[in-house]
Amino acid sequence: MLDHFSLMALHAVLIAVFFAFLWKADRRERWRYFWKVFGALLLGAIAVGWLMYPFPRT
Amino acid sequence: MPERAPGERKAVATTLPLQVVILLAWLVPGLGHLLLGRTRRAPVFAVVILVAFAVGILLNGELIVPKDGDPLSYLAFAAVLGNGVLFVAAKLLGLGAGVVTSASYEFGNTFLLTAGMMNLLLLLDVHDIVTGKKDW
Repeated sequence: MLDHFSLMALHAVLIAVFFAFLWKADRRERWRYFWKVFGALLLGAIAVGWLMYPFPRT
Repeated sequence: MPERAPGERKAVATTLPLQVVILLAWLVPGLGHLLLGRTRRAPVFAVVILVAFAVGILLNGELIVPKDGDPLSYLAFAAVLGNGVLFVAAKLLGLGAGVVTSASYEFGNTFLLTAGMMNLLLLLDVHDIVTGKKDW
């Protein structure tokens, strides 16, 4: 549970649920928005991670 | 489908001044929406913020307070203060001191800051609902 990916996924779920309920009134829209935000956060983080791969911290 | 038609809402808070509703919404995440009759959204917001806050504490995150010479700590303080009574309760219980050497310290901070900022966004939403800018 303490690995980066699980925590990132949990964080993405919480944010996606929050904004889906904050900005969308319709149940179907909420689901669509949830998956959109969740996917963007998760896939975006993975993409940024790979982009940073050639630049190690040390 | 919207959770309720506008006319069906039983808005307890319509009799309360806007400032009081916002104060209550800040103190207890989700309470503002509950008072405004958003009975389906309120518990969702409360659970999301509570879970984020609890995870942040469990991950050894820090409830940041202003530090001299660290301007960003003021912003972080504003964010974690957004957690309302959760912030106060955790401080009183000695939680959220932060363990800098913990591998999950930064993760914990992220969850705590996010929880507070989500509650601050809810205050804006409550404001919009009370002033009629948002009708659902």
